[in-house]
Amino acid sequence: MSASPPTTAESKPGAAGEAGAPPVRGPRGAAGRRSSGIRGGERLAGYTFMLPWLIGTAVLTIGPMAWSLYLSFTDYHLIRGGEWTGLTNYRAVFDDPMFFRTVRVTLMYVAVSVPIKLVASLFVAMLLSQRRRGMGFYRAAFYMPSLIAMSVGVALIWKALFSNDGVQDSIMSSFGWEGGGFLGNPSVSILMLVLLAVWSFGAPMVIFLAGLMQVPQQLYEAAEVDGAGKWRKFVHITLPMLSPVIFFNVLMETVGAFQLFGPAYIIGGEAGAPAWSTLFYTVRIYTLAFTDFRMGFASAYAWILVLAVGIVTIIMFRAAKQLVFYAGEDR
Amino acid sequence: MIRNPYRAKRRTVLTGASAAAALGAASACGDDGGPAGTADDPIELSFEWWGNEDRAEITQQAVDLFQEKNEGIKIQTNFADFPEYWESMTTRMASQDLPDVFQMDYSRLRQFGGNGMLLPLDGVVDTSDFMEGFLDTGYVGDELLAVPIAGNTLGMLYRADWFDAAGVSLEAGYSWDDYHEYIKTVTADLGEDGKWGGGDYAGQYHFMELWLRQQGGSFYTDDGTALNFDKGQLTEWWSKTEELNSGGHVAPIDVTTQWEEDGMVLDAIGSEITWDNFLPWLAPTIEENGGTPALAAPPTSDPSNLGLYLKPSMQFVIAANTPNADPAGKLIDFMLTDPEAIKILGTNRGVPATNVGRENVEIDDISQQVLDYEASVEQYLTTPPPAPPAATGAIESKFGEVYEQVLYGELPVADAVDTFFTEAETLLQAEQ
Repeated sequence: MSASPPTTAESKPGAAGEAGAPPVRGPRGAAGRRSSGIRGGERLAGYTFMLPWLIGTAVLTIGPMAWSLYLSFTDYHLIRGGEWTGLTNYRAVFDDPMFFRTVRVTLMYVAVSVPIKLVASLFVAMLLSQRRRGMGFYRAAFYMPSLIAMSVGVALIWKALFSNDGVQDSIMSSFGWEGGGFLGNPSVSILMLVLLAVWSFGAPMVIFLAGLMQVPQQLYEAAEVDGAGKWRKFVHITLPMLSPVIFFNVLMETVGAFQLFGPAYIIGGEAGAPAWSTLFYTVRIYTLAFTDFRMGFASAYAWILVLAVGIVTIIMFRAAKQLVFYAGEDR
Repeated sequence: MIRNPYRAKRRTVLTGASAAAALGAASACGDDGGPAGTADDPIELSFEWWGNEDRAEITQQAVDLFQEKNEGIKIQTNFADFPEYWESMTTRMASQDLPDVFQMDYSRLRQFGGNGMLLPLDGVVDTSDFMEGFLDTGYVGDELLAVPIAGNTLGMLYRADWFDAAGVSLEAGYSWDDYHEYIKTVTADLGEDGKWGGGDYAGQYHFMELWLRQQGGSFYTDDGTALNFDKGQLTEWWSKTEELNSGGHVAPIDVTTQWEEDGMVLDAIGSEITWDNFLPWLAPTIEENGGTPALAAPPTSDPSNLGLYLKPSMQFVIAANTPNADPAGKLIDFMLTDPEAIKILGTNRGVPATNVGRENVEIDDISQQVLDYEASVEQYLTTPPPAPPAATGAIESKFGEVYEQVLYGELPVADAVDTFFTEAETLLQAEQ
């Protein structure tokens, strides 16, 4: 991904998006570059270099996806196999007593974790975009958690932090909290996972940072001359100039949040403990496939998620047309 | 300190079922030396079980002895805790990479056996020396697919020191309501935060099965295709402990859900229904906590019928696709009937199921307590239910999971009952 920290270039007029991430430019910006001619030999070399990736994608992604699409129309039992049953699975998903619970838990998580994570990462990115001594260290330090956050080890540490008499319980109890550790309290347990997500804001932070570096300084200077305060500059310059980056981050984080599995599975287990409050859609898919052996049904479950995420993505692109400002565009 | 190479490898092997599967496949292809096996070109067998480090250590000793006595056979061992063990086994069942010999649980027998994963053991394993009635539970249909390692039955494990102090004694034939009163008395007598006379037991399907058997019923129908009770009965069962919970007489769910260990080991609860062969495992810690563990009959709704049966605590099975059925059978025979092996293994897996096992095993005080308990309820033991259906593992966890919602107040009992029936019926359906 385009997560490499940007160069120090900060005020190249009209260069927004050139040096940094492609998404900064968005789909429209790409159109102008296609015309450069590529010779046949280079093309061959290009495809040869792509070959490992192509093979990997075909064998490890497209193949299994096609297979699971087929399975979703069968009553495939993980051990005994199965037969074509048409749309039966898809109808049965909506009759599954767990379906709406898992949808609710997942939507709740997406709705809470994505905005908090993005606000936090933008805030930190703005702090880190200043030119100070040792900034490289801070940037690395804030990025670090995102490298390990989805690991089993961190999930286990999280469990310990949020158990009864754990760190969170001790701190909050001294302020009069009586709910115990989040781990055993179904009304707040999902916050554990939200906090884990927020803590691992490294990826969107780096992208924000890249975007912030591209905002032309003279816009701020001009605003200052006109007497704009910090807040006005943020709302009227930073946010609009950053909107393609924000859109990209919202999209990536939302799609990612829908698919959260590892930490949820380790913290809540197949039962989504406590009291199904961490029973994510993906955890349900896992249980159906590997504990109940109903691979066909689980595949249908999974494809409904694919559809849902696809629809959400389309809606976002539609909304982006109104909300996202691409530099150089007439508005 | 790591003393043997097999243990050192455990974690790495465990990290992925695939790694273990690859090993299994490699060992299956690796022996071109024919079935005989020599010291230079040995037959390789894989052997796995669930349990803790103690069990692993003595099992490895027995396996080493077996390898000494059988030069042409090399055994690759591996073990894990119960939940991880089954998680890995079910995944490996799907990829047909089960170990040659492995430890089986009665509740999973049909899941594996019914799917053709297990080798019929007649003529492969010596079945002449088992105690009467023990082999019955190894059959799925007409085929003997598993042999028992030891037997166990349900009992009430309790802290005699706490119960005596509260003036409560457990005489066989006491009712479930009596038991509730006892819990209340003990909890009140303890009068201490974080200590209770007992725990909520209604989330365990084995205990509901016990309760149903006391009324002449059963959990599943004989052919294992359906539940053999109605919603009214489940409603009654799941409402039983309501008063105990609302009155704070038992450990509450938000506490128990965070326990990483048994509540009695944690010195938190004074009684629980459990398998009697757990005593050797639980008793030492309870004694360290200053307690006196004791076993009594579980509560009953009919004093003349305790609903108990002798269940194999663990079984040995052989994977159907093993290329080395005979050496595998030899290993099982050795573990169950070789006097030296029996001495090494002791009562770690329960009191042995073979006559030669019973003659040779050393019985310590704790195991003697288990034997005494089994003798005291022997007259009440009735025919075991047929091996539960393949879906039972999933149904068992669903049973606890749904009941948890009741304890948390997320679902009223009636809704929970409906949910469980829908889930269980779907699972049973999917396995047919």
